[in-house]
Amino acid sequence: MKLDSKIPSGNIQQKWDNYKFNAKLVNPNNRKKFDIIIVGSGLSGASAAASLGEQGYNVKLFTIPDSPRRAHSIAAQGGINAAKNYKYDGDSVYRLFYDTIKGGDYRAREANVYRLAQISNQIIDHCVATGVPFAREYGGLLANRSFGGAQVSRTFYARGQTGQQLLLGAYSQMMRQAAAGTVKIFPRREMLDIVIKDGKARGIIVRNLVTGELETYLGHAVLLCTGGYANVFYLSTNAANCNVSAAWAAYKKGAGFANPCFTQIHPTCIPRSGEHQSKLTLMSESLRNDGRVWVPKKKGDSRNPSEIPEDERDYYLERIYPAFGNLVPRDIASRAAKRMIDEGRGVGPTGQAVYLDFADAIAKQGEDKIKEKYGNLFDMYYRITDENGYKTPMRIYPAPHYTMGGLWVDYELMTTVEGLFALGEANFSDHGANRLGASALMQGLADGYFVISATLPNYLANAKFNSVSESDDEFVHARESVSSKIKKLLSIKGSKTPTEFHRELGNIMWDLCGMSRSEESLKKALKEIPKLKEEFWQNVYVPQNEKFNQTLEKALKVADFIEFAQLLVKDALERRESCGGHFREESTTKEGEAKRDDENFSFVSVWEYAGEGKEPILNKEELKFENLKPTVRSYK
Amino acid sequence: MEKKTFGITLRVWKQEQGEQTGHFEIYKIDGLTGDISFLEMLDILNEKLLKEGREPIAVESDCREGICGCCGLVINGDVHGPDEHSTVCQLHMRRFKDKDVITIEPFRAAPFPPIKDLVIDRSAMDSIIKAGGYISVNTGSAPDANSIPIEKAQAEKAMDFAACIGCGACVAACPNSAAMLFTGAKIAQLSLLPQGNPERNIRVLNMVKAMDSLGFGNCSNEYECEAVCPKEIRISAIAKMNREFIKANFASEQ
Amino acid sequence: MNFKYIVRMPFSSIGRKILMASSGLLLALFMLVHLGENLLILKGESAYNGWVDLLLSNPLIPAMEVGLLVLFLLHIFFGLWVRFEDWKNSRKRNYEVNKSQGGRTIGSATMLYTAFALLLYLVYHMIHFRFADHSMGFYQMVTEAFRDKFFVSIYVLGALALALHLSHGFQSAFQTLGIQHEKYTPVIKATGWIVSALMILFAFISIYFFAGFDAKLQYEQEKVLETVIE
Repeated sequence: MKLDSKIPSGNIQQKWDNYKFNAKLVNPNNRKKFDIIIVGSGLSGASAAASLGEQGYNVKLFTIPDSPRRAHSIAAQGGINAAKNYKYDGDSVYRLFYDTIKGGDYRAREANVYRLAQISNQIIDHCVATGVPFAREYGGLLANRSFGGAQVSRTFYARGQTGQQLLLGAYSQMMRQAAAGTVKIFPRREMLDIVIKDGKARGIIVRNLVTGELETYLGHAVLLCTGGYANVFYLSTNAANCNVSAAWAAYKKGAGFANPCFTQIHPTCIPRSGEHQSKLTLMSESLRNDGRVWVPKKKGDSRNPSEIPEDERDYYLERIYPAFGNLVPRDIASRAAKRMIDEGRGVGPTGQAVYLDFADAIAKQGEDKIKEKYGNLFDMYYRITDENGYKTPMRIYPAPHYTMGGLWVDYELMTTVEGLFALGEANFSDHGANRLGASALMQGLADGYFVISATLPNYLANAKFNSVSESDDEFVHARESVSSKIKKLLSIKGSKTPTEFHRELGNIMWDLCGMSRSEESLKKALKEIPKLKEEFWQNVYVPQNEKFNQTLEKALKVADFIEFAQLLVKDALERRESCGGHFREESTTKEGEAKRDDENFSFVSVWEYAGEGKEPILNKEELKFENLKPTVRSYK
Repeated sequence: MEKKTFGITLRVWKQEQGEQTGHFEIYKIDGLTGDISFLEMLDILNEKLLKEGREPIAVESDCREGICGCCGLVINGDVHGPDEHSTVCQLHMRRFKDKDVITIEPFRAAPFPPIKDLVIDRSAMDSIIKAGGYISVNTGSAPDANSIPIEKAQAEKAMDFAACIGCGACVAACPNSAAMLFTGAKIAQLSLLPQGNPERNIRVLNMVKAMDSLGFGNCSNEYECEAVCPKEIRISAIAKMNREFIKANFASEQ
Repeated sequence: MNFKYIVRMPFSSIGRKILMASSGLLLALFMLVHLGENLLILKGESAYNGWVDLLLSNPLIPAMEVGLLVLFLLHIFFGLWVRFEDWKNSRKRNYEVNKSQGGRTIGSATMLYTAFALLLYLVYHMIHFRFADHSMGFYQMVTEAFRDKFFVSIYVLGALALALHLSHGFQSAFQTLGIQHEKYTPVIKATGWIVSALMILFAFISIYFFAGFDAKLQYEQEKVLETVIE
């Protein structure tokens, strides 16, 4: 596998401008001759459809739900970063670049991240112009807040619904193009395979989720905007439809999969209440601005929190990380919580939680002020747990939330397959080993609105396209393989449901490859996952219905998750260092903190599919830090 | 800490794909606790049905935190269930008690054709947005975000209307299957923002026309929509739309 | 003026509602004036007949009558059109458990029924008063009719239907016309309640005569007069 990241020449500030100047363009009259397939309608998919539609390309967009507006970007709460420096508190493009690289534990590509920081300002301008009602100051200008441990206030927000507002903004821009006829939307479709012809991605096979028919669509480029794979853990904050299938299909067709072990565990989620739990709910980490995290000092202390006196409480984040206190980055906060729970100091009925206490903040600022800031989160907590967070401390627990890993892409967002692009969370490019709060929305929109609209034309203008048709061997073969996979699933008629398999997979992944990983646990997982896979293909039950069949949809997703999990664990095993969200018990400092190993692991792991039953091949993209010197990430 | 469990009887609307009508099927389910969400209760039932080799109930949900707008059921006649201003996915079984009989129906409205059981097709709402629920601005052409100040109260009001999740509860609750609250919310949001001003006349005319042609009904000001909206969008959205409509018809040259 | 802009109004859902609402509001205004006139009857024969004579001597009255008729017809026409569209668009199958979500009121839920009741009442009212023999004088005609049990019951029912219709219709019309404001809508709603409550005075007048309060009053006045003379 050849990994050419195609980083443009020049100093870091000029790379993007140089790229854009040197990129080839497509004549406006020729653009409508190009069919662009976009899979996924989240921030990156919707914004890519909008920007490419505006330029005049012929866009086809595919999405699983009934409406493109339901993509999971909608659930992001906190905000979106930009280096506007409206607060004049020392922010700059360079600082956002620095924070993102450092926050990612020096495992991201400098040029991509710098471009992201540059574009961040344009995103805010564009979103405001498209009618996103960001929070404002009394003077009428945009408000900012600090977020996720940043030392500047650079986060723009729309109450606790920033993701929703940004997505609806991008969705509306896409609908404008749909009205103009440049974008055609195909809802209730799930992509099941990609078709490569003459070395180029030329089409996709989708299942119409209502009729059950397999449909073939042809195009000159395929953009995967299919999000992350946190649902591999079964319980995560992701929506039920989030899956790895599209990315996995791409991987099997030759796209390198980068850093699959880089997963983010979000510290402030509502703990699970029992076996029935279907998903976990995240509460914005802005709660940590005012809430104090603690556990009892004594092990197994089952007293009511109000009965535990102040001196028997351990405000462990403030104790261990005095400089950042409760505002340490997500990976640090999550692991600290896990340590407390492993020590037997967890709270609540399951012992799998820590307290997030607002008593001090309420005493200082008054309940009204807290209500004003976080009212919707307290309501949500109350609805789920039946507990009043104003009166008794909330219980929180970390949960899988975001995945930094994804399809490997070059500077143009193209995967190792020509004409196959990956945008947003589906690619690996910008967050390294850990993502900072409020950066996912920034990346999704940067990729969709501003990057792809500049890089895709360069590909289209340079590539030579042969004509393709649905009856070409490659298409026929792809359809047949998908169809036989579905037939196989329907024919097994076993005794376990896809959800049961998914839950079992989740247990393996969470216990053995979750917040902390060791050689032993990972090797154990590598033994258990193939067993689960074998059992799945012998014993899964799917009702015999080839039309609208949600169990079949689920089975297809779980089948891919099981295969993918194997790769994730393998990557985690190979990366014998701790960095960002990836914590190897063998690689720690004396105090038990994560220890990065720049000498041996300053690279992107890019996994190459070698065929069914064969071990995947590890390729490496060395990371060069020409502007920032990797330092130890310390928040103490 | 062992919690007491309880059991309920469900009457669920079952409708085969392609069929014009359906029937109510009775299911019994035990071993519930108050911590289980309503949709998780349906998950448990569906798992049980699968185990028995029966076809599960088709029901949709996605984010399960009340923001994607995917879920939507009528539970004992309550759109989105008995909790006020929330979605079905946020409803928990602690709202019910032992031996309750719960009737579950899909959202019913003429422009929302059924697909299967509790799953319906709400794509008509996308068509309304397509008719003008946007601001025409090309990527990369926007001025600095702070070049136009917007009064805080006005921005907040726009946000109130923008909070719509497109679940269709307003349509399902309306005796006339009207989409006035949905359409009004988008029109109100965009007309409150200076960025939306240049297109305000053509927008309201086109969106109302689309809404009418898609088979959504008239407004009879019964305010059922406002009563069920999970995002508490107020009927002032409809008044605002009406105002915009009058202005566009009489004062503009559109 | 380009005519097509006006013509397209009734062909849109909001346009029809606006026409129905504005005609309805004007009719409500007429009802208030009408109520004021009717209350004059309590002052006695000369006051009432004097006002009616003054009114009828106005040459514009026939034209205004035609205007009023047009208002009624518009209101009925657009009301029916709106209802027809609603009926066409309503859900094909109703909910098994059908209940209010908390927005409806008795007034809003019964608009169509009160509308039909009012229409029937209006026809009855027209036959009895507008197209009746006016030779005996208006005061005499009205008070005599109010001695009839059947007539008074119809009259009372009509007034109640009107009150119910306006309890929703008044504030609803403002909403339809886009007049909605956090500060003023409560005032509009209160006004709506007051206006619909006032409509009950129509019933009061008929009961007043039916119960013979006028005679008693006259008797008492005479008695007072007598005692004064004595």
